[in-house]
Amino acid sequence: MTKYLLKRLLRGLFSIVIVVTIVMAMIYTALDRQLIFAQDPNYSKMGNNDKISYRYRKWQEYGYLDYVPYADYINRLAREGEIDDATRDEAVAIGRKPENDSELVAKYVKQFTEYYESQGFTVQRENALVAGRGKKLAKGGQQILFAYRDKPLISRLVTYFTGMLTVDNIHAVPEEYDIGERRLTFTTHDPAYGENTFSPAIMGNGTKHKYLLYFNDQFPFIHQNLVTLNLGKSYSVNSGIDVVQTLTETQGSYVTSTVHFPTGIVEQSADDLHSATFIPGSLETSKVVQDRFTDDYTNVTTHKSGMSRIGYSFVIGILASFMAYLLGVPLGVIMARNKDGLLDKLGTIYIVFIIAVPSLAYIFVFKAIGGSLGLPTTFDVNSSGKLMYLLPIISLALPSVANLMKWLRRYMIDQMNSDYVKFARSGGMSENEIFFKHIFKNAAIPIIHGIPGTVLFAMTGAIITERVYVVPGAGDLLTRAIGMYDNGVIVGMTLFYALLSVVSIILGDILMSIIDPRISFTKESR
Amino acid sequence: MKQELTNLNGLGIDEKELFSFITHSDVDSEKITAPRYSYWHSVFRVFFKKKINIIVLSVLAVIIMFAFIYPSLIEYDRYANITDASAKHLLPAAAMEKFGPSIHWILGAGASGEPTFDTIWVGSQISISLALICALINMSIGVVLGAVWGFSKKFDVFMMEVYNIVANVPYVLLISVLVLILSASFWTMVFALTVTGWIGTAYFIRTQVIIIRDREYNLASKCLGTSTFRIAIRNILPFMTSVIVTQAATEIPSYISYEVFLAYIGIGLSEMSLGRLIYEAQAAMVTNGWQFEFWSPVVVVSIITVVLYVVGQNLGDASDPRTHM
Repeated sequence: MTKYLLKRLLRGLFSIVIVVTIVMAMIYTALDRQLIFAQDPNYSKMGNNDKISYRYRKWQEYGYLDYVPYADYINRLAREGEIDDATRDEAVAIGRKPENDSELVAKYVKQFTEYYESQGFTVQRENALVAGRGKKLAKGGQQILFAYRDKPLISRLVTYFTGMLTVDNIHAVPEEYDIGERRLTFTTHDPAYGENTFSPAIMGNGTKHKYLLYFNDQFPFIHQNLVTLNLGKSYSVNSGIDVVQTLTETQGSYVTSTVHFPTGIVEQSADDLHSATFIPGSLETSKVVQDRFTDDYTNVTTHKSGMSRIGYSFVIGILASFMAYLLGVPLGVIMARNKDGLLDKLGTIYIVFIIAVPSLAYIFVFKAIGGSLGLPTTFDVNSSGKLMYLLPIISLALPSVANLMKWLRRYMIDQMNSDYVKFARSGGMSENEIFFKHIFKNAAIPIIHGIPGTVLFAMTGAIITERVYVVPGAGDLLTRAIGMYDNGVIVGMTLFYALLSVVSIILGDILMSIIDPRISFTKESR
Repeated sequence: MKQELTNLNGLGIDEKELFSFITHSDVDSEKITAPRYSYWHSVFRVFFKKKINIIVLSVLAVIIMFAFIYPSLIEYDRYANITDASAKHLLPAAAMEKFGPSIHWILGAGASGEPTFDTIWVGSQISISLALICALINMSIGVVLGAVWGFSKKFDVFMMEVYNIVANVPYVLLISVLVLILSASFWTMVFALTVTGWIGTAYFIRTQVIIIRDREYNLASKCLGTSTFRIAIRNILPFMTSVIVTQAATEIPSYISYEVFLAYIGIGLSEMSLGRLIYEAQAAMVTNGWQFEFWSPVVVVSIITVVLYVVGQNLGDASDPRTHM
């Protein structure tokens, strides 16, 4: 059993890798890169060479290519100690045209060109553009020199999958920053609680996160930052934030609590000190920061009143599935019991309505009916009311009810003609016994197979329902990312969906083999 | 006991009506008499036996007529009244009052002062054509490949992997990338919906084929030396007709619904299809008194999809030979 499932899981992971490859090939190679500038107001304002370098800079940020301006190269040489600062200042000033380069500049330009061309980059130089006949530069006409290289698909894939799980360690902060002794410390009295309450924590210096393990009052009470999952960095949807965090960070208005800052200041704040991460030089940026923090671990998230995107989607989705099973299963059984009766016909009309009518139409119908009954039709993150969940849940549940009714009725009617049912009847069992002890048990197996999928996919949210009721859920993240060409989020969401679907099918099989002893995945017991 | 024989002459029956001797014929004795049975004749006999089917079919005929003939009879110009501010967002009564009573205005006027009724039918033509073409392509590829998939074990292993992969590429992403690469035209949409859409149908057909493939009558056929191709065409295809019709009946309306969904999330057709019409009309939803503009296309789409679905389902039921008794 374990061996079989492991094999299934491996095959599932293989298909996920292929899916990610296909999606990466699609969005990075097949799509026209110019599209990302279609709605960029900065791009249309720029002219000449500025436009070119802006374009390449953006493409690098969106992850299309590697881009190295000449100045960065010279600065790197200076940092590595190959050239001194005076040489750097001279070498960095390239001429308006290649002919105008001084000897030193020409030497480094040649070195730059040779170095990057040997690595497969393309080196491009644009001469300065002069306005009119004068010597003044045209707008954005500064001369530029840079090298660029498209990221090959294979290396993109390798970087993506190897970077997916990162384990925090004391060398996570680059060695060039002097941050004192790099070490892990264990404390029984977490300073974030004022060092008076007992709360063990593991803290690090030199790690990316300040807190690696800590306790707080939120489920599941013990939290870790040691291992982080990265599905892809967002560029335009949620700038610079990983997909996982976009999905799981809380939303809404700030919730303040008493916070003991490292400097000793105690105040009401929404800052979550446990989320502190290292940002080099951030302590110097402002007085406010210096008053509160003692080191560069200043990047904190905040406590907010609402749930995360996944949280909202999951609560609505799981309640809707619960309601669907609660209504759909008995209704399906009733329809099968009264085959060709009035209830069966009414149920069939409902099923036809849900299957045939576009989902958009009936969601608006539910919204209109709910609205006229006085239920809230829009979602408000800052409200604590529970009524606003009702309409999204109903809109999600009613279609699933129809689906469950349809299949359960079909399976039960198929079972009704089986020999074992006739045998049970001839043995004198009552119809109720036959229905619940025999037919229902057998007909429910395919329904049970779908339960893990229903539960897991509750997390992904529903696009139309969430849009119509303005729920800040996870449903439209993919469509929004597509609209904003946020390749990181697209890849991350694809992986997330694929992972859920692989896991839910395997879980469904396991559940089915537990419920039905006839089903087995091992060869021996077959 | 002595038997009494009736005197035939006394009954007054003509000699032709009485029994007569027939000589034995080898040719005639080989003929098997059975009631005349024509498959499609029976399908339609069963189909038309239900009164509801006649009603639904006539509604469908009206819809098809309006969607495919009506737009060519009228001169539809969406922006004819664009400059007339008083022609926009009118309820039917107000529109009739302004333009005079005619069929064009029975659903009022839209955001550019166009007759909503005409817009809906122009859109229906696009949406119904899209659904029919996509269903035709997907069903043909799906049925053929699904049959091969069901029969060949080697192909099955390969196709299962392909299926696992393709089913995991988000459909919305695939369609939007294709639309962005190729432009949002009608044929792009057809391509985007069918490039991977057939695999679902093929998988469905594969499962059906596997169920029927090893039944006794096919085993017998195989023992008698029938080729696999002939088994597929003569033994299995007739069995599957009702399944295929039912599947097509679910697919055609689902493409219309899907087109509406895509338009709603903003990656729909550039033509004025039903989906796009609903997408554009949803802006009117928030203004009191304009909701009618949104609801009328929604109701028409719902009627079209329900009618197509019911006709297809009932035709699927009727094409199952077990109902022909």
